[in-house]
Amino acid sequence: MRTLRIAAAAEAASLALLLGNLLTVHAPALSALLGPLHGTAYLVVIATTWMTPAAATPGTRWRALVPGVGGLLVLRRIEARSPAN
Amino acid sequence: MTKLLLSIHVLVAILAVGSITVAASMFPRQALRAIGGEGPGVTALLHRVCRGYAVAGIAVPVFGIATGAQLGVLGDAWLIVSLVLTGIAAALLGLVILPGQRSLLALAEGQAPSGESTGNADAAADAAERAEHAQAAARPVAARLAMLTGIFNVLWAVVVVLMIVRPSSTTGA
Repeated sequence: MRTLRIAAAAEAASLALLLGNLLTVHAPALSALLGPLHGTAYLVVIATTWMTPAAATPGTRWRALVPGVGGLLVLRRIEARSPAN
Repeated sequence: MTKLLLSIHVLVAILAVGSITVAASMFPRQALRAIGGEGPGVTALLHRVCRGYAVAGIAVPVFGIATGAQLGVLGDAWLIVSLVLTGIAAALLGLVILPGQRSLLALAEGQAPSGESTGNADAAADAAERAEHAQAAARPVAARLAMLTGIFNVLWAVVVVLMIVRPSSTTGA
């Protein structure tokens, strides 16, 4: 769950930075570094969602595939499904 | 920037894939010991190492592809072959080896540790016999897992050699 939280934040933040870079200075070096970072975060979100038992409810795992905010959607869904926490 | 990407790629490859190969190779024998009554602690740790570093290992192909794109070598045969082999190795790890480890670990955790003496010799002998039976049943599963882990390790060795030799590459040694 901790990995999923970190990866979800990295996924959303890196995409925001990538788009911000594209709209403003558009430094190629920044894109080259943030691109792989975002790609890794995206795949880590999908992999950890697949391995988390709490995410084994219908529709939760598919939300991980949403680009950019998939991890945050999964986290929101898991927290909504477990009122105990 | 290419140098930074390549450094991250190699560093994560050494740390993540190296840890997985060692932990996964130790797993089958350790799981048999655990099922034989040693307790599942070490086995669970080895499985955790494999699973955790498998997630970290995702960065290896991602940063590798980014490096290849910067160098303009994505169409080279050695790189495509490496990518296919990496895909096969990753599928083997995620779809076969990790689930296999989980089922062996479940067997080990279901087995009561025989080390604790209850004072009753009959009960102790009974437990030892049950552990022996469970171990005999788990042995073929562990042997198969050991073989698959060996294939996984060989795949990675081939990819590393391809990365160094780069057959038909024109970008120097």
